[in-house]
Amino acid sequence: MRAVVFNGALEDDDSLAKVYHFLLRDLTELNFETTGFVLRNMGIAICRGCFGCWIKTPGVCVQDDAGRDTARAFARSDLIVYLTPIVFGGYSSQLKKAVDRIIPNVLPFLKKTEGEVYHLPRYKKKKSLIGLGLLPRSYDGSEAIFRTLIKQNSFNAHCHYYDALVFTEEENIDNILGEFRETLKQGGICR
Amino acid sequence: MNGLQTALLLVGSPRGPGSASAILGTYLVEKLKEKGIRTVSRHLCRELNRQTLLEEVEEADLLIISSPLYVDCLPAQVIKVLEWIGTARRGAGIKKYLAVILNCGLPEAYRNEIALAICRRFAIDAQLEWCGGLCLGMGPAVDGKSLQEAGSMVRHLRKALEISAKRLAEGNTVPREAVELFEEPFLPPRMYIFFDNLGWKQLARKNGVRDRIDARPYEAE
Repeated sequence: MRAVVFNGALEDDDSLAKVYHFLLRDLTELNFETTGFVLRNMGIAICRGCFGCWIKTPGVCVQDDAGRDTARAFARSDLIVYLTPIVFGGYSSQLKKAVDRIIPNVLPFLKKTEGEVYHLPRYKKKKSLIGLGLLPRSYDGSEAIFRTLIKQNSFNAHCHYYDALVFTEEENIDNILGEFRETLKQGGICR
Repeated sequence: MNGLQTALLLVGSPRGPGSASAILGTYLVEKLKEKGIRTVSRHLCRELNRQTLLEEVEEADLLIISSPLYVDCLPAQVIKVLEWIGTARRGAGIKKYLAVILNCGLPEAYRNEIALAICRRFAIDAQLEWCGGLCLGMGPAVDGKSLQEAGSMVRHLRKALEISAKRLAEGNTVPREAVELFEEPFLPPRMYIFFDNLGWKQLARKNGVRDRIDARPYEAE
């Protein structure tokens, strides 16, 4: 089983460093073939909205940079982890630049399913999506937006399991990792 | 919002002046200009100087963000600019206002709601008074032509933006009437889906990739 962790820490902010390190360790210990991306260190251009990945080079972004690597990892993985500061309730710009570039992994075609319209998946592989969001201060209501975003992203990516874990800098790292392992068990992703 | 003098339009689409985001935002600021408000427009996906942009934010009374939806929320570059503004305006005392226009390629306007919630949250964190937002589904139907040129199909959008401009210029928020007008679908959703899917097939055929439009380049690895 493959896992990929997208680390959306912003420049000059190391508040996610410890969690990131231990996530990679724990996933490896759980026998995942694990890849981690520290996105602020990667040359990922913004999505141009050109739809080339649908109608010129199907499945591959026309921009030949690290955005192809993150899209490939997303496509190949069973477990996707978004690790990010929660910015106005959503993802950081660093995480979002990678998320915008996974659009090649869906087809352009729309279909209405259970009352909502989605893009059809390009790949059959079923995935799980776990969002780990760090609140800048205490719980302030923005975590509800984050949870909804993870849920909607998981539906659009045709994930069979999703969860959103929210924490503050004061929280004990063992508790965070414990919750992470627990959600993996709940999702049947590991024992 | 007494004494509104300057509005700053921030366009979040990388696709330039022909994008739905630019077309919709431009129409709104043109209506504000007709009411004597000075307007400035910036495309966030072009070369952007952080300091210059923040100075323009400080000079403006009203900020207007017009953005597409990417993967259920705002595109990365828009978030980056909001991060800049949020950091710069932490603890700011001077009152400013925020209105937004959002559009997505899905048929349902409500799919913009997460992005709208993020914008509302940004307004709180950046000490901006929230003036409301307009959300549009079937955004590609607006691409390419100005709202003046696009004819009767977008009459409801013109009216919604005109009502919004009037209310914003008076110091009020975007009214419910404008929100409901704006989110009216151009077509029944099933028809939109049919024509949208057909359009992609035609474009793929034109580019010689119709037979591999559903290719899985990362599967065999």
